[in-house]
Amino acid sequence: MEEFVARYGFLFVAVVQQALLGLSLYFPLMAGQLSLASIGFYALGGYVAAVMGTHPALAPLRDALGFMIYPVQWLAALALSVALGVALGYPALRLRGIYLALATIAFVQVVGVAALNMPVTGGAVGIFGIPQPFESRLAYIWFFGPLLLLTLALIHRLERSGAGRLFFSIREDELAARAMGVDVTFRKVQAFVTGCALAGVTGAMSAPFLNTWNVRQGTFDAAVACLAYVLIGGSRSKWGALLGAALLVSLPEILRPLKDSRMILNGVVLVLACVYMPRGIAGLLSGRDK
Amino acid sequence: MSLAWFLQNLLNGLSIGSVYAVFALGYTLVFSILGIINFAHGAVFTLGAYLTYVLAVGQFGLNGLLAGVALPFKLPFVPALLLGAALSGLAGMAVERLAFRPLRRRGADALLALVSSLGVALILVNLIQYLFGAEIYSFPPDVFGSLPPAMIFKVGGKMVAVRTVQVILFGVSLVMLLALVWFIHYTVKGKALRATAENPDTAALLGIGVDTFILGTFFISGVLGGLSGTLIGVSFGLAGPYFGVAYGLKALAVIVLGGLGSIPGAVVGGLVIGLAEAFLPPDMSSYKEAVAYVLLFAVLLVRPQGLLGAHVEQKV
Amino acid sequence: MTRVLPLLALLLALAVNALAEPVASPIPIGVAVATTSNVALFGEEQVNGAKIAEAVLNAKGGVNGTPFKILYQDTAGDEAGAINAFQSLITAKVVGIVGPTLTQQAFAADPIADRAKVPVIGPSNTAKGIAQIGPYVGRVSAPMTDVAPNSLKYVLSVDPKIKKVAVMFAQNDAFCTSETGIFQEAIKNLGLETVTIQKFQTTDTDFTTQVTAVLGAGADMVVISGLAADGGNLVKQLRQLGYQGPIVGGNGFNSTNMLPVCGPLCEGILVAQAYSAQADNAVNKLFVEKYQEAYKKMPPQFAAQAYAAVQVVVEALAKVEKDSGKKITAMELAEVRELLNKNLQNATFLTPMGEIALDADGEVHQKTFFVSQIKMNPDGKTGAYVIVNK
Repeated sequence: MEEFVARYGFLFVAVVQQALLGLSLYFPLMAGQLSLASIGFYALGGYVAAVMGTHPALAPLRDALGFMIYPVQWLAALALSVALGVALGYPALRLRGIYLALATIAFVQVVGVAALNMPVTGGAVGIFGIPQPFESRLAYIWFFGPLLLLTLALIHRLERSGAGRLFFSIREDELAARAMGVDVTFRKVQAFVTGCALAGVTGAMSAPFLNTWNVRQGTFDAAVACLAYVLIGGSRSKWGALLGAALLVSLPEILRPLKDSRMILNGVVLVLACVYMPRGIAGLLSGRDK
Repeated sequence: MSLAWFLQNLLNGLSIGSVYAVFALGYTLVFSILGIINFAHGAVFTLGAYLTYVLAVGQFGLNGLLAGVALPFKLPFVPALLLGAALSGLAGMAVERLAFRPLRRRGADALLALVSSLGVALILVNLIQYLFGAEIYSFPPDVFGSLPPAMIFKVGGKMVAVRTVQVILFGVSLVMLLALVWFIHYTVKGKALRATAENPDTAALLGIGVDTFILGTFFISGVLGGLSGTLIGVSFGLAGPYFGVAYGLKALAVIVLGGLGSIPGAVVGGLVIGLAEAFLPPDMSSYKEAVAYVLLFAVLLVRPQGLLGAHVEQKV
Repeated sequence: MTRVLPLLALLLALAVNALAEPVASPIPIGVAVATTSNVALFGEEQVNGAKIAEAVLNAKGGVNGTPFKILYQDTAGDEAGAINAFQSLITAKVVGIVGPTLTQQAFAADPIADRAKVPVIGPSNTAKGIAQIGPYVGRVSAPMTDVAPNSLKYVLSVDPKIKKVAVMFAQNDAFCTSETGIFQEAIKNLGLETVTIQKFQTTDTDFTTQVTAVLGAGADMVVISGLAADGGNLVKQLRQLGYQGPIVGGNGFNSTNMLPVCGPLCEGILVAQAYSAQADNAVNKLFVEKYQEAYKKMPPQFAAQAYAAVQVVVEALAKVEKDSGKKITAMELAEVRELLNKNLQNATFLTPMGEIALDADGEVHQKTFFVSQIKMNPDGKTGAYVIVNK
């Protein structure tokens, strides 16, 4: 039992962490917007936490705050993500469908190139030796777990509130929603920024979790992986991202005994999941899938 | 800045831009028919290069499952290129059958095809690595015969240099492009293809077998991918099973910049990005990888449908 | 679920110290490198090197007569993959771990092993700060601080007229970015002028933009920090577009993988090496012979360093037995790990790279580095790195 925990503690928390990233995509999707910008904000949030945790100039602040430095990092990442999210959201959300998806991927790429070129981010080596709040990886569930519960509760309330219904109305028919007097642009930006903020805070929590932070955390591959969580899990349910992340993050580990061919089988499972669960795992579980 | 400097960058930009364009055409063709991006296109590009290599050199490397295996034959370069491209076309069809058709049949969310094509890409790339190993494969230096490696001429007293490979890339890309335009505009099959792209339901009513044409489109797309993969592979070597990924991403920027589904758009987009990268000031080389994406973002802000894209009210 | 978690965390905390476990026979040693993803080019070579070490050292009797066994785990190319591979090996009760492939992965995964008190030897992590991650982290891969300036000095001794230097480096690679810093410092110290600094990505294939800039700046020496595929293409394009001066490559060029890429145009490149297959010592000669037997080519640096990392662990284990007077397999795992780590510090080893010493931090000090010049064979695909700084 202890061994099982030691072996899979990191993986378990990684599933929750990736599920949060998936959920950050779910917010704009509630309003029908396919945005992959989250990964850029995830990278940004991680850098905020990594710099605040290691930069020599901030040592007095760390000494003064003690453990409270971590919530302060989350807040800093949150504030930055919201500000940048609003600035990016207004122009970007004029784009539709796949154009928005690809424009947000472009944003992710630009964030990566910028991070490579800034001295504060440590270039290709990145930032390392990030201070640790916990010894064991499993204990990081105290960071990610409450955030996940909070996010799920927020979505649950949104789904039953006016704002949430407005999101759904845009998803179902944007023109009709506009005709009914919904401030479509504002609502889209609202959904988008919520996703960005969640990704930013997740990033800030992830920097100590991974011990290090670098440009390779916010890549195209990572963005597409998050999209896969949502779609495989079920893009119309808040449980989708969680189920998708659980399947796709643990799959390479489950397949580990297959050695070098494990990634081939990983691809096979991805295709089969798409074909046999077109409404995602959540759709399959809710029995609405035909 | 001098005329020589201008000419040099123009040539550099046109050459790499034309490769971006041809690779992007494979994406754009599929998008024009299905309205979806085929994420496995980059893997087919890579596969094409590996297939041509094995056909032309007749020998596998030292690390994969097929380490040391030799084919009983060796083809001259041009037949190997064509056969490799044809096989890539078949791989393109396999992608359609595996990743797209089952989803279409089930009326699944169109976005899901992004993920299933990604799955196929994962299979292809890792299969290549499993069989060929991750090592670098390089075509023998004499594949282009006895052509000189570069041409150097003087403009206004300054040197302008063009690598022969750059000229070949540009020339072959141009020929492929013209062949594609001719096929689509002047053959019956090409016209049917356009009709399918325009409106699949009407096309079906007119007796056009939609599934067959989709399959045909994936074949052409695969051939284009395989050809451009081989061209890049011959010029720069095959730096492992992931060497197509960087091009794949850039080609995505190209088609969006030019306008999704637009063939002239892919060409214009490719050339614009190639030229913009070439004309980047020398002390800004660290931002070269961002050029395509900044440009894409800027253009979309002004023209949300891309440079040459048709304006369509589109739903997600 | 939430109520179970604190319990799980508690169990984990207890698990670290409380258990007394024996060491399995054959003695398990972990190798965690990237055999999938785009880092696999290096990981494959590392696995090859480790396999030779397993065969050669076991044939010599393993650890004082007890054979050892290598457990391989794929880290893939990312940080999470490295952590998972490390966790997997730690729970498989290995005595120590060799890995991971990338410096960035080491910063993520090494602290995991350090906290679990499992010794780690980095076979290819060269950035600053690796050995400082913790007391259980060491490495056999030396940073290139000495050899880089040596290669420049050699060029100046052949052609003292050189003044203008162009520097090029792969900015997305951790090793290349730290190496170019050393080169740029050395250029300044030698009184040379840096006329342009051009950056590229290891995934790039077309370098016409950068090459045009270098030619435009009128450089009479080019210094490149890149890896095999991108470096080979860069050299090829520099030469084809008319650059004729000397080219100095960093340690990333120390790979026969590069030779088929630039082909005959590789001729004459000077390479700063941490390992040379030509190195004249008995350990290396045996390694080269066995490697050639198995893989039909000269061993690359990644393979040699992986061999050295396994060798260092095995020799330290032998010393643990000698000092304690007990067989490893009769001792407790936690004790073996602790003693192994002690014996990996303040010790010298004769490896294929020559003599290396690990200090009290686990930091490596390598005695000899090499500056070699590439001599291509008439077939234009293969060649040799000929040592010039004997």
